[in-house]
Amino acid sequence: MIGTPATAGTSAADRPRQKVRVWDFAVRGFHWLLVVAFVLNAFVTDAESALHHWIGYFVVALVGLRLVWGLVGTRFARFASFPPSVSGAMQQLREIAGGDTRPHAGHTPLGALMIYNLLATMLLIGLSGWMMTTNAYWGVDWVEALHEALVTWAEICVALHIGAVIWESRRTGVNLPRAMVTGVKDMPVDTAEGRAG
Amino acid sequence: MSQRRGPGRAGLGLASLIVAQALCAAFFLSDALADFADIGPGALTTGYVGIEAAAALLLAAGIVVEFRMLMGLLRDQARLQRGLSIASGALEELMQGYFRDWRLTPSEADVARLTIKGMTIGEIAGLRGSAEGTIKTHLNAIYRKSGVTGRGALMALLIEDLMAEPLVADAPASPAQVGEIRSGKSGSDR
Repeated sequence: MIGTPATAGTSAADRPRQKVRVWDFAVRGFHWLLVVAFVLNAFVTDAESALHHWIGYFVVALVGLRLVWGLVGTRFARFASFPPSVSGAMQQLREIAGGDTRPHAGHTPLGALMIYNLLATMLLIGLSGWMMTTNAYWGVDWVEALHEALVTWAEICVALHIGAVIWESRRTGVNLPRAMVTGVKDMPVDTAEGRAG
Repeated sequence: MSQRRGPGRAGLGLASLIVAQALCAAFFLSDALADFADIGPGALTTGYVGIEAAAALLLAAGIVVEFRMLMGLLRDQARLQRGLSIASGALEELMQGYFRDWRLTPSEADVARLTIKGMTIGEIAGLRGSAEGTIKTHLNAIYRKSGVTGRGALMALLIEDLMAEPLVADAPASPAQVGEIRSGKSGSDR
């Protein structure tokens, strides 16, 4: 059992499982603080208020810290462990299409693309929002339109992200939302080390 | 490695098309929703909102069709990948079985493997850091021990064996099984 290579398509349930610590405290803290801050600014706070601006600065600082942590952090937090890769994403699509349900230890290639997209979008939302407070761009239409379009884009992406997380959790049998809370993925032994992508 | 070009490209093009159409659909849909929120139900009769909504719907329908095509394509690629890895494993075992049987020295086995891969004598000499004359000596020994007449015959021997048995019928054959196939074959061959 242990040691034999997993054949693609074997059901995930009948293989021995192992708890793998993947997300450190900083990654989880970043994720959920970003969730709270984004929801507050997108749906709750008054866009003209000082609170909205402070939460915006907070988000930019949060992303800045995450970028640093991506260079010096723990193994699965590092950008090097989930480089943006089109061929990797295609390979993951191939796994999905071919019925290969073995989970990835860290971020999946498709998940990585979403992460970079959301990080960049958050920074651009912060930038355009800050520009609206400056004398040079205050009241300029295209800045405001850009800010709102980026927020809409982020909302679409968040919806997609949540849908993908639920779908991938059901497909691979690894509860991903719980992993983002506890930091631990409960996954089949043979994939815990073998596929660190 | 197993796909230098070809199969991967088609999937990538289709995936890009799906992403581009999804972006357009998202744009039309969010714009239509924004207008709807601004103007209310009356927005539907002004023309633009209806057209935007229809465009978003048609794009979504196209995306569904393309996504199914893409999944079919990728499923074929995944099967091809699995088949290739089984095939390359089987070929390697088959070659090793032959080389053992012919009692090739490690150097000769290496030269035989590179020859089967299609490398010229000059390329093999460069790779192994030896003179072309040495490689030719090895090749002569390989042909003498195996009883085949040249490079083409050497390859034909392997291909013939691979095509005689269904590759993916069982788990990759064990060395013992490869030996059986071999001895059964060589009896009728010589």
